[in-house]
Amino acid sequence: MSDLDAYRSKAAAWLESVRPTFGKCARKGLSEADDLALGRRYQKAKFDAGYAGINWPTEYGGQGLTHLEKVTFEAEEMKHGFPNAYFGISLGMPVPILMQFGEDKDFVRERVLKALQGEEIWCQLFSEPAGGSDLAGLRTRAETDGNGWKLNGQKVWTSWAQYSDYGVIVARTDPNVPKHKGLTYFWVDMKAPGVTVRPIKLAGGDSHVNEVFFDDVKIGDDHRMSPVGGGFAVAMATLMIERYVATDSGGFGPHLDLFIDLAKATDFGGKPAIEDSRIRQQIARNYAMRSGLDAITARAMLMMQAGMTPGPEGSLNKLVSVRSRQKLSELAIDLQGSSGFAYDAHGFVKDNWTNSWINAPTGRIAGGADEMLLNTIAEKILGLPQDHRPDKGVPFNQIPA
Amino acid sequence: MSILYDEGQQAIATESRRVLEARVSKDELLPLLEASGEYHTAFWETAKEQGWTALALPEAYGGLDLGLAELGLIAHQAGRTLSGAPFLTSSFGAAKAIERYGSDAQKTRWLPGLASGEIIGAVAFAEGANALPAAPKLTFTDDRIDGTATGVAGGLAADIAIVFANGPGMPVLAIAELAGVARTAIASFDNSRLFADLGFTGTPAEALVTGSAARDAALHILALQAVVTAHEQTGGAEALMEVARDYALTRRAFGQLIGGFQSVKHRIAELYGLVELARANCIHAAARAETPEFILAAAAARLSATEAYDTAARDCVQVHGGIGVTWEAGLHLHMRRARSLALEQGNSLFWEDILVDRLTGEAA
Repeated sequence: MSDLDAYRSKAAAWLESVRPTFGKCARKGLSEADDLALGRRYQKAKFDAGYAGINWPTEYGGQGLTHLEKVTFEAEEMKHGFPNAYFGISLGMPVPILMQFGEDKDFVRERVLKALQGEEIWCQLFSEPAGGSDLAGLRTRAETDGNGWKLNGQKVWTSWAQYSDYGVIVARTDPNVPKHKGLTYFWVDMKAPGVTVRPIKLAGGDSHVNEVFFDDVKIGDDHRMSPVGGGFAVAMATLMIERYVATDSGGFGPHLDLFIDLAKATDFGGKPAIEDSRIRQQIARNYAMRSGLDAITARAMLMMQAGMTPGPEGSLNKLVSVRSRQKLSELAIDLQGSSGFAYDAHGFVKDNWTNSWINAPTGRIAGGADEMLLNTIAEKILGLPQDHRPDKGVPFNQIPA
Repeated sequence: MSILYDEGQQAIATESRRVLEARVSKDELLPLLEASGEYHTAFWETAKEQGWTALALPEAYGGLDLGLAELGLIAHQAGRTLSGAPFLTSSFGAAKAIERYGSDAQKTRWLPGLASGEIIGAVAFAEGANALPAAPKLTFTDDRIDGTATGVAGGLAADIAIVFANGPGMPVLAIAELAGVARTAIASFDNSRLFADLGFTGTPAEALVTGSAARDAALHILALQAVVTAHEQTGGAEALMEVARDYALTRRAFGQLIGGFQSVKHRIAELYGLVELARANCIHAAARAETPEFILAAAAARLSATEAYDTAARDCVQVHGGIGVTWEAGLHLHMRRARSLALEQGNSLFWEDILVDRLTGEAA
């Protein structure tokens, strides 16, 4: 057994041991407040057991291991429906960036330890009404104010802002230069005067994303995490951290086995639906697609173990898996016919086809819409040209609105 | 077996690519489409000279003792440049049947010739839409074969064929010499595949496997071939994806490169996805050759490779516009090959059923 296999089985055993306390059965029927409280205890349990900050430096309370162990743990963890979503963004991007770019090491260490133990949550204030895919088109302003800065503007789609203690934010400090060049990166106290968080109810009925308004929010220059005008590079660094996250060839929806079980159990014209060729074809196609993604992931893991850089094909995962999950979820609902109308807004997306279906569009948009991912593949991997961009090289304040 | 290619395997890929790109050209392949019974002899001579025919066969019989992964790499390159003959796969399938199920005498008799390429093998299981018929019409009685095997790739040139026939109350996997067999050439859209109907009339044959194990054995041979073919399909799809990309980086319309239009660049990016999924499935299947999940992995590779090559053929021509449909441009060579390879070793409907049977526990 390789070291990594040993790590995996030890992690799996630990996760199994805490499943009754924190798993999806324990969460059933909880209010969001209680679920968040359970999540904080789960995060603390992970910290105590050595499964928090797996690939982070030990000086910050991490385990000092590699992203291989981290990805291995995450792949096991995602099977059980633990209440960890509240910390996904926080520990995924803002806090690692704080470790990388935060100047005041004592402050950074204190924040990191609290975040790792589930006591504090960070959010990432990037997207805006006028800039989602086009991040550099953002309009929130940071203007000098004494020795510090004053923030005004609006962010949107900010995950878990309603529970966040801190956030990282990209704001425009100079509208007179082309859009990428006038941005600066800060951290901000989400409890500061002038910060207003308003949850957005999404199609599925839950509200994990928010609008965040900044009205004359004052921050010191010690909140600045990039050179003035150098914020876009730090924003890109933030998004690059995402490269090493566990993937799921099921698109973070149900496993194909659950579809097979459904097809076996469903009577269609007096026969189990699993005997219907149309159903069989979809099973075969989905299996082939998922096994391809699994093989890509397995190869990437082997390459990382060998100290090599995985190929760019890993970028296919989200694109291919989530849109397939969307269609398969539709088919699973179809298959149930008049039994297919039931819906529980608090169902678990990994074992409930209706929850999987209604939340799939979010998956296809968040963290890079399909179209943006295709652009990235076409431009970065295949070397095809960028689209015509009329705003290129134009000072931000002269771009037609 | 690892799914990461080692240095030796990478060298096989680069060397076979170099050789094939130097020796195979569109101009030599185009006339073969309008000829009957001809194949690209330079391709086959190259395969023999480079030892590709011997690659995956046992050393004791003149082989090089490498495996499906290495043969797959050659097939991938052959797919890129369009292989000029079907024997790399058909002879491999025939040889594997003899190696796995034959007697020592049969191995001694046939394997060295198949390894050197002096003997050409074919696998003749299909009857129309049934890649592996439940009740074959071909009969095996008193060591003689009767009936017609249809659409056999390489059938016009093969010296021996592995057949799946109906024996006395049980199926039989058998080997037959084709010297006295009536071969009817099929005028096809991809003539260098040498498709033929083989008419057996009391043709002497030797059983390799009889009874219920014969079907499993035949399926295993088909799966081995399917993995080789899947590599070839992936190579073809990859080449087309690159051709489409290169054209989109050259051709201008409305004042810009057409590769800048999202309708074009997304089409090509989607091809990239299909190629990489197929490649990953191929590598995975080749690495699982002697494991219980091999048939499942082979089916997945086959399905994704067929989808990749067919889609690449459609979309590459589409990206080219009018020039793409000309005889001279030669994209139709790939279009044709995508279809012929989609049928050889069983169509997608067949492999979908095989896959789902395995997945749902309907097949042991």
